[in-house]
Amino acid sequence: MARRRLPFGVGAIFRILLPIAEQDEVVAELSAEYADRVIRHGNAAARRWAWRQALGSVPALLRRGWWRGMTGFEPQANRLRPGGPMYESWIIDARYAVRHLLRRPVYAIVAVFTLALGTAGTAAVFSLAQRILLDPLPIAREAQVGVLWFAGSWNEQEILRLRPDFPGFQRMGAYRPAHATLDVTGQPLRMVSGAAVSSELLDLLGTPPLMGRTFKPGEDLVAAEPVAVLSYSLWKELGSDGSIVGKTLQLGGVSRTVVGVMPPGFWFPTPETRVWTAARMNPANRSGLYTLVGRIADDQSMATMNGPLQALASRLASNFQYPDPQWDKTRHPSIEPIRDYFVGDVRPALIATVVAVAVILLIASANVAALVLGQIDARANEIGMRATLGATRQRLIQQLLTESLLLGGLAGVTGAAIAAGGFTLLLQSLPLGVLADTAKLDWRVFWSAMIAAMLASALVAVIPAITLWRGGSLQSVLATTRTGGVGSRGGSFESALVVGQVALAVLVAAGAALLIRSVVNLRALDPGIKTDRAVVIDANLPTRLSLAQRKLVIDAVLPALAALPGVQHVAATQRLPLRSSGYNFGISIRGRGNLNQTTAFRMVTEDYFAAMGMTIRRGRSFSSSDRPSSERVVVINEALAAKFFPNEEPIGQVIVTFGDAGERIIGVVSNAAEGRLIDGAVPARYVLSHQMPIVPEQISLVVRTSDTNVAPLVQAARRTIEQERRDLAVQETTTLQAVFDLSVGPVGQVVTLMTLLTMLALMLGAVGVYGVISHFVQRRSREFGIRLALGQNPSRIVGRIVTRGVTLVALGGVIGITAALLMSSLLGSMLYGVEAADPLSMAGALSVLLAVGVFATLIPARRASRLDPAVILRQS
Amino acid sequence: MRRNKRVDPVLLGALEEQVMLAVIRTAEEAYGMNVRRELEEVTEREMTIGSVYATLDRLEAKGLVTSNRQSLAADAPSRRIFAVTAAGGRSLSLTRNTRDRLWKGVNVGALSET
Repeated sequence: MARRRLPFGVGAIFRILLPIAEQDEVVAELSAEYADRVIRHGNAAARRWAWRQALGSVPALLRRGWWRGMTGFEPQANRLRPGGPMYESWIIDARYAVRHLLRRPVYAIVAVFTLALGTAGTAAVFSLAQRILLDPLPIAREAQVGVLWFAGSWNEQEILRLRPDFPGFQRMGAYRPAHATLDVTGQPLRMVSGAAVSSELLDLLGTPPLMGRTFKPGEDLVAAEPVAVLSYSLWKELGSDGSIVGKTLQLGGVSRTVVGVMPPGFWFPTPETRVWTAARMNPANRSGLYTLVGRIADDQSMATMNGPLQALASRLASNFQYPDPQWDKTRHPSIEPIRDYFVGDVRPALIATVVAVAVILLIASANVAALVLGQIDARANEIGMRATLGATRQRLIQQLLTESLLLGGLAGVTGAAIAAGGFTLLLQSLPLGVLADTAKLDWRVFWSAMIAAMLASALVAVIPAITLWRGGSLQSVLATTRTGGVGSRGGSFESALVVGQVALAVLVAAGAALLIRSVVNLRALDPGIKTDRAVVIDANLPTRLSLAQRKLVIDAVLPALAALPGVQHVAATQRLPLRSSGYNFGISIRGRGNLNQTTAFRMVTEDYFAAMGMTIRRGRSFSSSDRPSSERVVVINEALAAKFFPNEEPIGQVIVTFGDAGERIIGVVSNAAEGRLIDGAVPARYVLSHQMPIVPEQISLVVRTSDTNVAPLVQAARRTIEQERRDLAVQETTTLQAVFDLSVGPVGQVVTLMTLLTMLALMLGAVGVYGVISHFVQRRSREFGIRLALGQNPSRIVGRIVTRGVTLVALGGVIGITAALLMSSLLGSMLYGVEAADPLSMAGALSVLLAVGVFATLIPARRASRLDPAVILRQS
Repeated sequence: MRRNKRVDPVLLGALEEQVMLAVIRTAEEAYGMNVRRELEEVTEREMTIGSVYATLDRLEAKGLVTSNRQSLAADAPSRRIFAVTAAGGRSLSLTRNTRDRLWKGVNVGALSET
């Protein structure tokens, strides 16, 4: 019959999908018929026919290969040249692997869970890190946008004076958080998070509005019409009104015209922000509350901004005076990239966590690899037999790889489930700041878990595969079983694995030890207040109320809360201690002239010291005799007394804050952490809020109870305020303990996670040491049996094995400590009162590992010393 | 082992029945490509070689056909030649008898005219 080459590709399809035994026959027959059709029907028709044959055959041949793989069917005619298409062998191997794992459920479960734990951690942390560190912010060309030094401390006077031009910047905008009450007819009053912004800010961020417009120049001045821009979610909540632009809303007691709606996905400065109001800037206002945001010029980068920033600082110096060096804006001008500003301290924490979980995944893979190696030894007979019958090395390794991939697939699914749970835990235990709300659980976690598991299982397969490959002829594996393993494979791979994983475990443990010591140091600091049994309620007073009305609201809500069961003391203040920087005010003392200094300043109600658990050292606290109309009084703390009245009696002296009358000092109270926990004792003074000519819009209520369980009180207090005082919008309820925990900072949140990870790493490390040493003992059992039979003391055998284990652990420990020292700078910013190279932490981590290592070695060592020589020698 | 086992006759699917009949019709020349050609000629429908081989493998696994490798000429490549087994023959009869019984008294001519 005439032959003709099949069209390009057709032959290949058949060769891929047909068993070797049938390829030649089918391709030859097809070519012959093809040649025949070329003559009868022409080239094009024949080519179409060949392609129809090839493509039409694909489904049937794929099904056939799958079916052959699943049933193991081999036709009678192919018995001398068995074997189907390539993928058939993978199906056969997968079925074999399933059977093998089912026969050894303990091995399978341990391997799957070890991998799954590593996988889950990596997936959860990695997808979180990806979101926080890499996902784009809703800001156009975010690399150009930065926050100028002293966030949250620029005042309206400064902004308005500097405003016309900012050399080196394209635009400069300002914002301050401005939560507002939203009053919609027929609905209860509610709080919406918002920001008061300068007219440039939204344009500076570069996201065009969905509807309407952003703010126009001049709309942020005190005389302008009040206007607002809504977030997409607030617009939706208000009924998705397509004609909302131009309508008015009652926001913060002011009627504001809606000029625009931002698109979905846009947020600034926090994801909860739902409304942007045009700030109403007053050139006379000097209270610094704004954060200044700049978009640098196209030809500049953050690194080259030094000149423009210095120019800005010198303009500030020529326009303003900064008596307090702490808040001197002419010093250290700087710009912080917007993402760093948002992410803040979390970057090192997140990177440290990513490293830690990656390390755990490595340890897990190493352990599973060791388990697989152990299995190979146990299966030496089978593998040797298959090799003798003609199995090639590739085929044996393919079998191993299939088994690893199967383990990996199972671990990936299990790990994804654990990761989904762990993701939520991570969100809570990492100090993610504003970005926490943008991170949501999604399929990325699942795919990260699957990819991590597949990578890990590939790693798992690599080491045993190399062992098989290097084993030279596979007959040597067979020989190993015959001779009981004496003198053959040295297990150097496994030893390297143990050294590696001990090093990794020491690394994680050392990091955790540093963090734990930092937290212990921080927690040991005395905040000067009693943090237990106290509930904190943050609330807002509507701007529309007059001063007198606001005072009435406070006066009414305190007795209502005090009437709740178990409540001992109730007080209000404008700002709670331990919440970042304090509220500072200039101080002058009658008869001393201008001191040019500031102290922490707090407006409180009568029972404040009792509610916070502070002690009056001298003089008296506030009492009901201190009326709004009576003489103004002030209580100072010990630090203020020591600084300004070192050798005199402070009580009776007069401090001047508002007006000429001043406030008379009536008592000295114990120090408390006014700003941050680590600030130590700073001078502070406390005045009675109803004697002051100002009432803040935002207040914190502190309710101290006799009950150790404060949860019911949190609920009751919130309900009471909502029922009794509709004017007071509750923003957040929490406890003083939670405020304290938060003030411990990121390290306090991360430490739980690191401790968990360390325990996991230690556990895995111990399993690894145990696995490898018992495998070592198992391989040498014949040798040990002979030694025992010849009369060697069992204790010497134990000694030998333990020495081997301890040597490995010690070697790993040294490597781990070295790595820990190299990497400790990652944690530097989170440490408090402890050096990054803290010897105690390092020694602690090392000794824990040594203890665990010795313990893990002792079990197989004891087993070896109790071997019965007769049994061992009879085995072969 | 499979050969020695007595296989009970089974009802065949339409494609299985056609393929087995084509194997019998091509007799000594019953190799895959020829079976396909025979089917195409009789049924006047194009048939892919893949589905013929898949069906033949399934039939062989059921013990209804066997295959052996033979060379028709000295220099020709060996071919997998199929033959219907006794069980296959019984299955064909069973299938045909069942169908005939079902057809008895059925007149589709009247239906297809309308």
